[in-house]
Amino acid sequence: MGILGFALLAVFAALFLRLWALQVLAGQKYVNQAQANSFRILRQPAPRGLLLDRTGIPLVTNIPTTAIELWPSDLPRVYNDRYAELARLAKVARIPLYEIARGIKARQKSNDLVTPVTIRENASGPMQKYLAERASQFPGVTMSRSWIRHYPYQDLGAQALGYVGAITEPELKRLGKSYDLNDQIGQAGAESTYDTYLRGVAGASKLHVDNFGRPLGTAQLATLPKPGNSVRLTLSLKLQEAAEKALQYGIGLAQSNGEWAARGGAIVALDPRDGSILAMASSPTYKPSVYAGHVTTRELGSQGLTTKTASAQNYPALDRATDATYPPGSVFKPVTALAAMQEHLIAPYENLPCTGTYQSPNDRSHHTFHNWDPNVNQAMDLPTALAYSCDTYFYQLGDDFYSLPGNRGQPLQKWARIFGFGHLTGSDVSPEVPGLVPTIGWRKQNFSKEKDPCCWQVDELWKPGNSIQLAIGQGDLLVTPLQMARFYALIANGGYLVTPHLLDDVQTSTGTLVQMPQLPSPRQVPVDPAALAIVRQGLLEGTHATFGTSYPVFGQFPVSIAGKTGTAEKLITLPGYTGLKSQSWWCGYGPTEDAKIVVCAVIENGGHGGTAAAPAAAQVFGAFFHVHVKQATSTHSD
Amino acid sequence: MLEYAGSQRAGLQRHREGIALGNVVRSLDWVLVAGVIGLVAVGLWAISGVTRFDVPGSPQHYLQRQIAYAVIGGFALLIGIVIDPDVYRRYWRPIFIGTIGLIAIVLLAGKAARGSTRWINVGFFTFQPSEFGKLLFVLAIAGYITERARGVSTWRSTLRTVSFGLIPVALVFIQPDLGTALVYSAALAAMLFVCGTPWRQLTVLGSVAVLAIVAVLWIGPAVGVSFLKPYQTHRLTCFIHPSQCTVDARYNLEQSIAAVGSGQGNGRGVNNATQTRLNFLPEHGTDFVFASYSEQRGFIGASLLLALYLLVLWRGLRIVTVARDLYSAIVAGGIVVALLFQIFVNVGMTMGIAPITGIPLPFVSVGGSSMIANLAAMGVLLAIYARGRASRAASRRR
Repeated sequence: MGILGFALLAVFAALFLRLWALQVLAGQKYVNQAQANSFRILRQPAPRGLLLDRTGIPLVTNIPTTAIELWPSDLPRVYNDRYAELARLAKVARIPLYEIARGIKARQKSNDLVTPVTIRENASGPMQKYLAERASQFPGVTMSRSWIRHYPYQDLGAQALGYVGAITEPELKRLGKSYDLNDQIGQAGAESTYDTYLRGVAGASKLHVDNFGRPLGTAQLATLPKPGNSVRLTLSLKLQEAAEKALQYGIGLAQSNGEWAARGGAIVALDPRDGSILAMASSPTYKPSVYAGHVTTRELGSQGLTTKTASAQNYPALDRATDATYPPGSVFKPVTALAAMQEHLIAPYENLPCTGTYQSPNDRSHHTFHNWDPNVNQAMDLPTALAYSCDTYFYQLGDDFYSLPGNRGQPLQKWARIFGFGHLTGSDVSPEVPGLVPTIGWRKQNFSKEKDPCCWQVDELWKPGNSIQLAIGQGDLLVTPLQMARFYALIANGGYLVTPHLLDDVQTSTGTLVQMPQLPSPRQVPVDPAALAIVRQGLLEGTHATFGTSYPVFGQFPVSIAGKTGTAEKLITLPGYTGLKSQSWWCGYGPTEDAKIVVCAVIENGGHGGTAAAPAAAQVFGAFFHVHVKQATSTHSD
Repeated sequence: MLEYAGSQRAGLQRHREGIALGNVVRSLDWVLVAGVIGLVAVGLWAISGVTRFDVPGSPQHYLQRQIAYAVIGGFALLIGIVIDPDVYRRYWRPIFIGTIGLIAIVLLAGKAARGSTRWINVGFFTFQPSEFGKLLFVLAIAGYITERARGVSTWRSTLRTVSFGLIPVALVFIQPDLGTALVYSAALAAMLFVCGTPWRQLTVLGSVAVLAIVAVLWIGPAVGVSFLKPYQTHRLTCFIHPSQCTVDARYNLEQSIAAVGSGQGNGRGVNNATQTRLNFLPEHGTDFVFASYSEQRGFIGASLLLALYLLVLWRGLRIVTVARDLYSAIVAGGIVVALLFQIFVNVGMTMGIAPITGIPLPFVSVGGSSMIANLAAMGVLLAIYARGRASRAASRRR
């Protein structure tokens, strides 16, 4: 046994001595040898997939660039030399020195000196030439091929398409696998939603360097980058352009009507048959190209994309079609009409008085609710009330909903939810907000002693006025333009709730289709087809009867269009002004009998629905049906 | 003849079944247990650093697997403790046939990995039978020797044992897995030694082995017969004559030595260990894991690992002397020497004092089969110790 013990000691003595000799006695020699290992692996970013319109026209493409990279481990060891090199580099690359220093510090902080810092994504020709000719003066500086996003249509669909930016630490942590610290990822809109399709797989190339890290010759490609897949969207370039122009036209119209606060809005165009989003415009907008290549705070600021400048430019990054909520006003009346018919509160051709004002017998405060037309006094059936947008007719319906016995629940809210309000549409457009359908429970929860110290005991109660306001789409109700477009698609397609979506298909760079998740198919909601027919009749009268609220805009339109105006009051706070301003809405579809498109337009603070939103929507229909629409005049209506 | 606990008393078949499990647990070698736990812990620590950049975006890919294997191996170790080693002696024939069968299956149906066939894919896990084979080989050959214990000193019996043991060795060799074949041979030699083979015979056998190596490396190629694959010859001759190495054969060695050396005293840390991180050092999670670990953790970390190995091997050797009977003693000797041989060849190869062969570093290299098989072998060692102690205590009481 002693022999085996001796063998054991001998073996370990040999191992320890060798280890000692290598690491402790000759360690420095091997450190130098390891550092002199003569090549660097350069990342070869893959071109990102294209974003195409429904016909295949590229909306977002790439342009090849040359990026300047810096390897912190290869910088001169002497402080003065290092400083001098960085200062020269800053001057050549036109990047502030502190930005370069910040990049190096970040690497030092994570104790990682062998991953290069990207100094500038898009080096100009002269910069490249200068650095290539003086490579010996810039140890640790290499250049690599890269790609940046290019936007041939500038700000077209900026919020829907989104932009690309450097991955952040939290994102890297969240996404984990297969993402890299130098990756660019989609930060908003379709770029973000479909990042997994769009992003390619980076390749690698080998670059020979000397022992100071100075490149010798050019990089040799080791593995080819794999380009990302192209994503074809349901957007139509032509219609998107038309929608954005129409939105500006609507805003201009509102301003010329004296609505000085009209500075933004949104238009959504959907295919009511399957929920494809044909156009989605949001104003004000921005140029996503400021995020491509070298991003500077000054450029972002000029586009209103920094926290400081956003408010002055009215929040251009906000996608008002999905991420902003508005009170809908009268465009909500079809919901009330359908709910009232479903709950047998009214027969379609039963007449109710349409008068200038309404007072609820249930209301102990005896508040007077006003009609938009104070002089009217006639009996109306449901289609006429919709077409004329008679407020008092719907006040009575709201009052009827209020008077229902407790065991009937809250049917108006129930139907609003069935029609897609108060929750996310499930669309692939991000971000999206759910809006709000106020209920008795919500009031109780929302107006608590802490939040509303003065009046919570009154405010937490659901009062007749709340039902009456809700019936005409006012009060606490909040919806997104996309939700409203989806509801009008339901009216047009006979009761199917579609999932609005932007994704058409995904194909590889060679054109092979890629498997993608199936969207939920349109879901039929339990609504009486006869009731829908009544509402469709009301909407058609709204555009074709002489008393219809958007008759002046759509009465003579070559294609039969049906729709509804909305003028929703909202308390707004602007610098130097606080008060009620009308949100101008119009939603509708065409052709009436076999709808192929739904358009929903909102002009923020744009006044009456018929004077700003309706003419804007008409422009979109005009582009869709290839008819020239003369720039419309307007009437005062609601 | 060696002294082991059983042999000092006349009868070998004494009170074997009488040892309760409770006694076994009470008489465990807790120093060895602590050493094994320390090794596994240091091994996992090493893997967490060494493989951090191997799967982009998933720094703990290998670590998580390795932890799972260590847990499975822990159960294998417990099973090893519970089973009385005498069971293996009684059933050495099926164990031997099973070992041959496993190795044969690999030869027939395994899939090729890096130029040689060592793996069987069993769905969720590729399984490397020659790792488990190391333990099974020892258990079976020890059984064979014990059956013929009477004639242990005759030439006839020694040669029979050697030729019997060389069957699995040859099968592993033609896989081809030279390194593992050498591990089996080392274990075989150790078992012959422990069972009391006379020195004269051992010396002759050793000389024959040296002659065989010389024949394979020099005489064979000289007369145009090659027993080894070209890459194996390259690696071996490269170790003996560095100047004749091909660029590729020398590359691994140089990068490995540079990696070990550049670790210096305290190591370069995970992020700045360029040899590992920039993949200058190939196979840094498996064969060259020691070099990579030494680069990242330096002399302090590497010494810690070697010291733990020394502790475990020392306790292992002690177990040979406390074993209850001849069979247990031979098994313990085989396991300990196989482990020592693997450690020496693997660690030595990364530092240029042993030839480059694809032997994993026990308890550290990424790989489930190796981890589980080695822990199971530790379980067998603990079982032998515990039963030796318990039977000694029992006879003392009598």
